[in-house]
Amino acid sequence: MRITLTVNGRRHELEVEDRRLLCDLLREDLGLTGTKIGCAHGVCGSCTVHVDGRAVRSCTMLAVQADGRAVRTVEDVAAADGTLHPLQAAFSQEHALQCGFCTPGFLMTALPAVEAGAPLDAQQARALVAGNICRCTGYDGIVNAVVHASASCAAARETR
Amino acid sequence: MAAQEELRPAGEPGLIGARVRRREDGRMVVGAARYVADVELPRSCEAAFVRSSSPHARIVAVDVEAARAAPGVLAVLTAAEMAQIRPLADLIELEQSIKTPRPALPADRVRYVGEPVVAVIAESRYAAEDAAELVVVDYEELEPVLDAGRASDGAPLLFEHVPDNVYFRSQQRTDGTDAAFASAAVVVTRALHVNRQLASAMETRGVVARVEPDGRLTCWLSSQAPFQQRYLLALALGMPETQIQVIVPDVGGAFGPKDFIFPEDLCVIRAAMLLGRPVRWIEDRQENLMAGSHAKEQQLEVGLAFDGDGRLLGMRGRFVGDTGAFAYSAPAGLVDVMFTAQSLPGPYVVPEYDYDVVGVLTNKTPVAPYRGVGITAAQTVRELLFDEAARRLGIERVELRRRNLLADAPSTSVTGQEYDGGSYLAAMEMALERIDYAGFPARQAAARAAGRHLGVGVSPFVEGTSLGTLARLQSGFPMPSHDNLWATVDLTGAVTVGVPTCSHGQGHATAFAQVAAEVLGVGVDDVRVVERDTESAPWGMGTYASRSAVFGGGGVLKAATKLRERIVQVASLLLDAPPEALVLEGGFVGIGGVPEARIPLAGVAGAAHFDPGVREALGESGLRVSVFHDSPPAYSNGCIAVEVEVDPELGLITIGRTIAIEDCGTMLNPTIVEGQVRGGLVQGIGAALLEEAVYDDGGQPLTTTYMDYLLPRSSDVAPIEVGHIVTPSPRTLGGMKGMAEGSSIAAPAAVLNAVADALSPFGFSVQRLPLSPQAVWDGLRAAA
Repeated sequence: MRITLTVNGRRHELEVEDRRLLCDLLREDLGLTGTKIGCAHGVCGSCTVHVDGRAVRSCTMLAVQADGRAVRTVEDVAAADGTLHPLQAAFSQEHALQCGFCTPGFLMTALPAVEAGAPLDAQQARALVAGNICRCTGYDGIVNAVVHASASCAAARETR
Repeated sequence: MAAQEELRPAGEPGLIGARVRRREDGRMVVGAARYVADVELPRSCEAAFVRSSSPHARIVAVDVEAARAAPGVLAVLTAAEMAQIRPLADLIELEQSIKTPRPALPADRVRYVGEPVVAVIAESRYAAEDAAELVVVDYEELEPVLDAGRASDGAPLLFEHVPDNVYFRSQQRTDGTDAAFASAAVVVTRALHVNRQLASAMETRGVVARVEPDGRLTCWLSSQAPFQQRYLLALALGMPETQIQVIVPDVGGAFGPKDFIFPEDLCVIRAAMLLGRPVRWIEDRQENLMAGSHAKEQQLEVGLAFDGDGRLLGMRGRFVGDTGAFAYSAPAGLVDVMFTAQSLPGPYVVPEYDYDVVGVLTNKTPVAPYRGVGITAAQTVRELLFDEAARRLGIERVELRRRNLLADAPSTSVTGQEYDGGSYLAAMEMALERIDYAGFPARQAAARAAGRHLGVGVSPFVEGTSLGTLARLQSGFPMPSHDNLWATVDLTGAVTVGVPTCSHGQGHATAFAQVAAEVLGVGVDDVRVVERDTESAPWGMGTYASRSAVFGGGGVLKAATKLRERIVQVASLLLDAPPEALVLEGGFVGIGGVPEARIPLAGVAGAAHFDPGVREALGESGLRVSVFHDSPPAYSNGCIAVEVEVDPELGLITIGRTIAIEDCGTMLNPTIVEGQVRGGLVQGIGAALLEEAVYDDGGQPLTTTYMDYLLPRSSDVAPIEVGHIVTPSPRTLGGMKGMAEGSSIAAPAAVLNAVADALSPFGFSVQRLPLSPQAVWDGLRAAA
């Protein structure tokens, strides 16, 4: 099937098999390997991307379902000049990653809430990422990073 | 030991032990890290595997004709195509061990569900999986052996040459154990079936193989021990090591099982040889959970004997390891039970101890090491028994531990393990203070009055870390250790260290750079750490068993110190100053207190490379040194304390305050240490409450998705408070002890004892692992 979609602001027209997964289209066809496949059955959240602004699992979505939609991946989170998003910077600052494999999924899961503009407390942050699995960190760093990034995004909004 | 003092570096002060932010993070947070699945090679094709659907069967026929004719299929490999590849076997020389080499693909028999039988190579994974569906394997079913405890009772044999399905036995006897038990005031015993678990790194296994026209092989592996793997590949393929390069891209976690070669790797390599094209196989999660590597299952019985004052008189243990279908991977199953047996004394004074270890084969997925190998089981059963003994003796349970903990000075355990000293009591007291243990009875009573059930558990531990030649000998399976690394200053003055360890999340590129930078008086960013490639260093064991701070960090310390001597030697010639007057600072070497008398490192390197006079004085050229590093055993210690709340109606357990005290000697980077503590602790909570690889009565695995095999999530755990004590090892270079497993070793016991404490009014005791809500509920009914 022929589909048209926007990925990280770029329009793509592609011929894809009906059964092709969105994660495979992103990784194999477009070379956006930042999106990771951790389980391929929708549980671990490593493959999380945004489709029309909402976090979805690209391993349980068909590429053809993204026809006509806008997809955003982890490659599009930092500024064009390479400046890290506050959430990315906070992940490093708070040691929220070790092997880094689950990191793109956590970033994409947390990003909409972090950017929504309200600071999140630790309990909210812990609940926000409870659908993703990290095997390395024990989660404290991730929770702290989300808390701090949401606070700095909220503060940035105030001063604007 | 004097060595440690001599090696306190005189360069950039304070970098060792500083909270330097990880340089790995930059590429990882923008999606630019490259794992094995991200390796992109022209004309690459993909493998998929037909796996055994039977736990134990004779292969009558394999029909691959339809698969060979399927669209996009390039090759189909059966046992026949793999015949010239030598079987995989461990390299451990133990008299009492019977080897069970496994062929890359089985010709006539399968021994567990998920065992690869046929490899299909196609243009895409989709096409390969389609074709794999067309393969027909005709099985003649055999009775499976599923219970390690009964595998010797006339059960069918997995291998004709392994009587009773027992491939390994070991034992220890001390003279006074029987007398100790006979004279004891209290003897407590517990039989436990330790749950079969998985390391379950977020990145599964993966391999990409490319063969050059001249036969040279390049293998990209998700790995933790590339040099060992290259050697094993060389043996299996019948090739010299020089013809093989193993490159390890970023690794998405490992935790133990990624230090060996698997049949799938050999099939992928063979396919690449036959096709002349790169071949890739990325394990999917169902494959991983079914047949990746399992871990830790054993049946154990342990008894502790105490006198009336609560002094431990002796221990007895019997440990039956459920290894699965082959004991082929380097440490395989016996490592689990041997470690359990050898580490049962833990942080306590144990005068007498008898044990028996049995390694048993069953028709399940083969086991491999997983964080806290064996030690977790020992810690868990011992600490459960300490709480029970305290009750029976009428001694407060922490007080009972105080009476038996080791003194801080170095000592040798009844199992011959040479502890290098620590802070055994202080670590426990710190944990007690942080969790307000003294105030807990009042909190517990108030909660009970309100109908809520709180409990607390305390679990002091030692963690054998420096797994070198001597430590391996003392752990019961001799396998010499070897690590060899280099350090250099290039012509631009930049420093590189080449290390044979294999970071898979531990931040070596940062931590080891801190070590070299401090010694050489340069910035962390001036040091590059080359790792994860068999061309990166002469040879080394890799990263497992918490060994990298000692062997990698200590090795870098040694190499950088030797390099520093070389730099000083050259600068001494150039500046015409005595070596002892020279200091390294800010990328320069010069005469202390004379700012104008200094040379940049680039100048020193240039002279060492090109100045004939300097070369002649040196007797060699350049600024490159290499060092060999082995190390005596080291033991980190610490204590985990956890509060829980239990809902006795639903069996639900909620983790509360969680304290981890860690003493791993000199820390290279405390932030990295704390990350390891937290991650290990949460894995320990998973082991205690959630994780179990389950087989049904017919040998079919039931936990092949993350909906069935449960990993801890952020909502399953609580914030972890980490405290440090630093007792440098008197035996290792730099005083590092290594760490990363202690919290995973000690957390299950803390959690389980906390649950038992919460439910003590009901007479509940832990008899089953993991302690799922169902297990709690059943346990309460049994106690009632």
